[in-house]
Amino acid sequence: NPSIGKLRWVLPGSAMGPAPAGEQLRGAAGEPEVIELALDSTGKKKTSSRKRAKAECPAERLLQPVKLSRAELYKEPTNEELNRLRETEILFHSSLLRLQVEELLKEVRLSEKKKDRIDAFLREVHQRIQSVPSIPETELTDQSWLPAGVRVPLHQVPYAVKGSFCFLPPSQVTVVGSYLLGTCIQPDINVDVALTIPREILQDKDGLNQRYFRKRALYLAHLAHHLAQDPLFGSVRFSYTNGCYLKPLLLLRPHGKDERLVTVCVHPCPPLDFFRPCRLLPTKNNVRSAWYRGQSPPEDKLPTPHYNTWILQDTALESHMQLLSTVLGSAQGLKDGVALLKVWLRQRELDKGLGGFNGFLISMMVTFLVSTRKIHTTMSGYQVLRSVLQFLATTDLTVNGISLCPSSDPSLPSLADFHQVFPVVFLDSSGRLNLCADVTASTYHQVQHEAQLSMALLDSKADDAFQLLLMTPKPMVRAFDHIVHLRPLSRLQAACHRLKLWPELQDNGGDYVSAALGPLTTLLEQGLGSRVHLLAHSRPPVPEWDINQDPPKHKDSGTLTLGLLLRPEGLTSVLELGPEADQPEAADFRQFWGSRSELRRFQDGAIREAVVWEAGSMSEKRLIPHQVVSHLLALHTDIPDTCVHYVGGFLDALIQGPKESSSTGEEALAVAVRCYDDLSRLLWGLEGLPLTVSAVQGAHPVLRYTEVFPPAPVRPAYSFYRHLQERASLLPRLDKPCPAYVEPMTIVCHLEGSGQWPQDAEAVRRVRAAFQLRLAEVLTTQHKLLCRATATHTDVLKDGFVFRIRVAYQREPQILKEVRSPEGMISLRDTPASLRLEKDTRLLPLLTSALHGLQQQHPAFSSVARLAKRWVRAQLLGEGFTDESLDLVVAALFLHPEPFTPPSSPQAGFLRFLYLVSTFDWKNNPLIVNLNNELTAEELVEIRSGFLAARTQLPVMVIITPQDCKSSVWTQDGPSAQILQQLVVLAAEALPILEKQLMDPRGPGDIRTVFRPSFDMYDVLIRLTPRHIPRHRQAVDLPAASFCRGLLSEPGPSSLMPVLGYDPPQLYLAQLREAFGDLALFFYDQHGGEVIGVLWKPTSFQPQPFKASNIKGRMVVSQGGELVMVPNVEAILEEFTVLGEGLVQAVEARSERWTV
Amino acid sequence: MVARRRKRGPRGSRESLPSPPGYSAIPVKFSEKQLASHYLYVREHRVREGTQSVWPQKHTLFVLNVPPYCTEECLSRLLAPCGNIKSVELQKKPDLAEGSREPKSKFFHPKPVPGFQVAYVVFQKPSGVSAALTLKGPLLVSTDSHPMKSGVHKWISDYEESVFDPEALRVEVDTFMEAYDQKIAEEETKAKEEEGVPDEEGWVKVTRRGRRPVLPRTEAASLRVLEREKRKRARKELLNFYAWQHRETKMEHLAQLRKKFEEDKQRIELMRAQRKFRPY
Repeated sequence: NPSIGKLRWVLPGSAMGPAPAGEQLRGAAGEPEVIELALDSTGKKKTSSRKRAKAECPAERLLQPVKLSRAELYKEPTNEELNRLRETEILFHSSLLRLQVEELLKEVRLSEKKKDRIDAFLREVHQRIQSVPSIPETELTDQSWLPAGVRVPLHQVPYAVKGSFCFLPPSQVTVVGSYLLGTCIQPDINVDVALTIPREILQDKDGLNQRYFRKRALYLAHLAHHLAQDPLFGSVRFSYTNGCYLKPLLLLRPHGKDERLVTVCVHPCPPLDFFRPCRLLPTKNNVRSAWYRGQSPPEDKLPTPHYNTWILQDTALESHMQLLSTVLGSAQGLKDGVALLKVWLRQRELDKGLGGFNGFLISMMVTFLVSTRKIHTTMSGYQVLRSVLQFLATTDLTVNGISLCPSSDPSLPSLADFHQVFPVVFLDSSGRLNLCADVTASTYHQVQHEAQLSMALLDSKADDAFQLLLMTPKPMVRAFDHIVHLRPLSRLQAACHRLKLWPELQDNGGDYVSAALGPLTTLLEQGLGSRVHLLAHSRPPVPEWDINQDPPKHKDSGTLTLGLLLRPEGLTSVLELGPEADQPEAADFRQFWGSRSELRRFQDGAIREAVVWEAGSMSEKRLIPHQVVSHLLALHTDIPDTCVHYVGGFLDALIQGPKESSSTGEEALAVAVRCYDDLSRLLWGLEGLPLTVSAVQGAHPVLRYTEVFPPAPVRPAYSFYRHLQERASLLPRLDKPCPAYVEPMTIVCHLEGSGQWPQDAEAVRRVRAAFQLRLAEVLTTQHKLLCRATATHTDVLKDGFVFRIRVAYQREPQILKEVRSPEGMISLRDTPASLRLEKDTRLLPLLTSALHGLQQQHPAFSSVARLAKRWVRAQLLGEGFTDESLDLVVAALFLHPEPFTPPSSPQAGFLRFLYLVSTFDWKNNPLIVNLNNELTAEELVEIRSGFLAARTQLPVMVIITPQDCKSSVWTQDGPSAQILQQLVVLAAEALPILEKQLMDPRGPGDIRTVFRPSFDMYDVLIRLTPRHIPRHRQAVDLPAASFCRGLLSEPGPSSLMPVLGYDPPQLYLAQLREAFGDLALFFYDQHGGEVIGVLWKPTSFQPQPFKASNIKGRMVVSQGGELVMVPNVEAILEEFTVLGEGLVQAVEARSERWTV
Repeated sequence: MVARRRKRGPRGSRESLPSPPGYSAIPVKFSEKQLASHYLYVREHRVREGTQSVWPQKHTLFVLNVPPYCTEECLSRLLAPCGNIKSVELQKKPDLAEGSREPKSKFFHPKPVPGFQVAYVVFQKPSGVSAALTLKGPLLVSTDSHPMKSGVHKWISDYEESVFDPEALRVEVDTFMEAYDQKIAEEETKAKEEEGVPDEEGWVKVTRRGRRPVLPRTEAASLRVLEREKRKRARKELLNFYAWQHRETKMEHLAQLRKKFEEDKQRIELMRAQRKFRPY
């Protein structure tokens, strides 16, 4: 069947592999019946084929309204049912949430079968470890006994250290961690095994100068060497415990097909009570400067809190395990809660790396909340999740630490001691170990921020809270407005020296990344001040390496990435106001800002220190953080500009006008809107109209700030045009290139009510025309504006902008709707004309003003909407989507940003647009855009159920607004199922490409890649000559040369009306669609596209029996003795040239795919 | 299925141009330059017995598949050799029932973008029709003597036409409104005369203009009345007064929950099918 093969262009090829959520759409579009729907033009056929589609496939992909019989609904409830209902009510938010949580847990929990296999493997591991041979004692520095195939998994700097080492099999092997607790989650199953190093190996004072860590590493190296020879293991590798460079661990994976089943992590730990706890308090020093730096500065005994913590962690492995198992042991709800929280953390990329909020930490937090009775053991997983989030959202562990230690032993250090050396404090049950020792303040703030967002989401009772909370990934590039990459990391070493961080380096065992991270983020946070909400940093990924390789160095972890969540209110200021010059803080301010700080005198007479950033336009202001970051890094940390890769404004280039390079058009739009405001004031005050103007409303994308390329004031060069002097108009000339495209901005003008209007539709039109004429006259005489009236509108030239004023009569849609029944009853029925009028004069102005308001709240709305539209049009799909529908999709990103915050940069907004488009289930859900929050929760429920019931009558893409709760006005006429599917596929492909580009620390490369369309799928390409493309310069790739378009460079008054709305490619397309719309689809990028893509409709190429009403460009041929109609392709191809004479350069038939 | 290129073969001789029964085919091209041509399918205009038609029987030629660049003038020029032509009408679809034929105003009914159309050509004599049926063609829409505008030329001239004289519009509006006002005035006087006067059967028409205006006969008004009645009744009802009412509300609540539960189950089923529960 050729039609099916042909349809494949809407389906993603197997190689493309879009996001998994796209899969369901892919499956859906695979049903040929559904596609046929859209291709059939006649309404009658539509319903019949739809019925057929329903009958043939049991509609498994489409939600159906539930039908339960009366008997089923009202039967006596059983006890069990009542119990379950009550439980749902008490323990969960709704039954849907309960079911969802249960499903998710089923998905991530380990199955019994796998557990058995893992247990068997663990027994083997235990045995093998016990049988590793021992070696005799040698000096620690004498490592010649190590076999060739293994390297010590530790950087031994400085190498010289006292002590001796021998290997003995571990005195104890125990499984610890989440596997035993039953809280580990798929897909990466890690089983932690603690090996107790026999006491004989260790010596007194091993806690000093990394001796314990050296022995630990050697112990692992010897173990690794022997285990690697065992065929039981598929791979034996080293890694770091939570990214800590002093603490390697051994990863053991089974051989063969089970390789991915489980990873056993082997942690050596000291015997119980070997270290004296008082030696490892955060105030104690255990790394001597004399040893570490080879010199003995006066302050030799600086505390080494992190170093101490790492030893303490090893000693406490077992006691923590015991604590957790007593608390979580029998309470399934708590385990579920921990599993949910782990998913939650992982979706936010918070759980990995040094200082991440890992599963262990969150289990301890649950334990803490159980001990403080905030969580009860009978609670459900959902309630545990909620309580923990609530706790995280409302407490601040950077100020008031918490402790699991019940006793108030005076020998224990106080919380304040911990606060002095650690940013975040959460003590374990011993009262000596800070579980959050490695967590940086910004990581903690990020967790806090996420918890607050999630709590707000849960409290809002949103329908899809589950989906947003636990199923939506929040990668850094999408979650943060701007991204900063620092690369190469070795630069941070110099930064540490510059920041005088030697004690920290000593404490961290030379890990300059961790040492510098805290001071670096504090510095930037202080500098960015009110410009950012949140500054987060990535945690270097935990490396894994083969045992015969040297351990990776700090700089090998690639890049340090910072994420900036901007605060739009703070962005507008170009000034950093400092203290008054004579105050002591002024010196600090000068020191902080360096040469950028200067004395300035302000209007109130104060003389203050201040920093002024150069930024004129909105887009430059958005990028002030870039200036701040590079300045501060260069000044304080010696990290030069070349190592700071700021990702924030790359996409701006696509919405910059052809001649602009510093602005993304917000200013130009504001100028146009100001001009509109002036005009509306004039209209309000007009005298001499029979009825006064009661309201003026904008109805054009410019007036809601979403026109991709904002209009510029025009001043035509007269010589370029033909003149029509008596009508004060200019006309295009044949011998010149097409003049510049000037699109009039539509304004709707309402008049005061009056009983004088006629009650007949035709007469109303005449009266309206008379008003248009009168309006033109009055504006010309009273305000000297150049006007041109037609029957439906009046064009006005004001300050170089052209407005199209449409007079509206409120009752006209009603008049068009009136139908008189034979009994004389007048009823109102929607007609196409009334709907169109209502859309143009009522809904469009309402939408425009609502989005105008949205722009005032969220300054990034304009740029995101324009970028999104630009992309859709650049992919040649602009015709399928109305301007309004795309604006509304973008508005949804701002009004319903969950689980994110509203985007504040075009980049983040555009990425989320792509994500939304590619993952939204358009089939089963309406996209609700709750403008001004007008819809209540009850109404939302009603809309959803109404949607399900009416799904088959609604368009494929349904967008609901408060003004339009039922019919989805803006998507009524498109897109069709395939066009939407094509958009979904393209977005799913573009998103990973663009994200990868932006996350590449070496720079994004060609940012326009995802904006360039592919022409492979089209059957015919019509190439246009640039001479007659008025918007040629707006093309994605700026043409090297274009034509003069008859405009003078500096605006000024004009006494002749410029050529309005004359766009030959659009006129040509209109003709093509009218003539051949049945046979083919036409695709074009209105922003300077040079090619029209034509796609034949496969169904129209099926031979059809003769029908007088359906001949349209077909011809009759006899086929197998029967007369049938087939498209007259050759004539049509020639007609493409004829209809576009002068515009068309070439018609390229690219495929012989059509058959007749 | 035959490949595109091959279908040229059987079309070699002009006599055997395939055409649907009752029609004859006439090739038509834009100009000399084009190689392939479209085909007009023509036949005599006929209607079933008893139906009215504006176009005179026997004199009218019905033309199918008129290409978009072909205007009325052009068609009349092309068919002129067959006989004198009275009128040519282009339409989007062959219309069966008769619509209004009043001339349309160019201000209020702008010409739509043309696609493939049908035409009714009325000849002065029936012989014109039969001559047209045997026309061989190919007809050329644009020739050196009568060039046809297309592409950029056409769009520029269309644009020029769209810039019209406001005075003409004003005149048209005025004449229309005058006629309209007159019509309304006539109707009003007629209504006034009839007011209160019983017709042959003795019925008096009650209008809105009387001393006591009645409710307008609209759907909205009748709905409003019904709504008011309903509210009045609801006010009198007692809620949760009897034990059975209590029982019923509880049952209703339970039914709601059950319904919701079923819906949720269906949703979950769908999500599971879409693998929505794989978190990463």
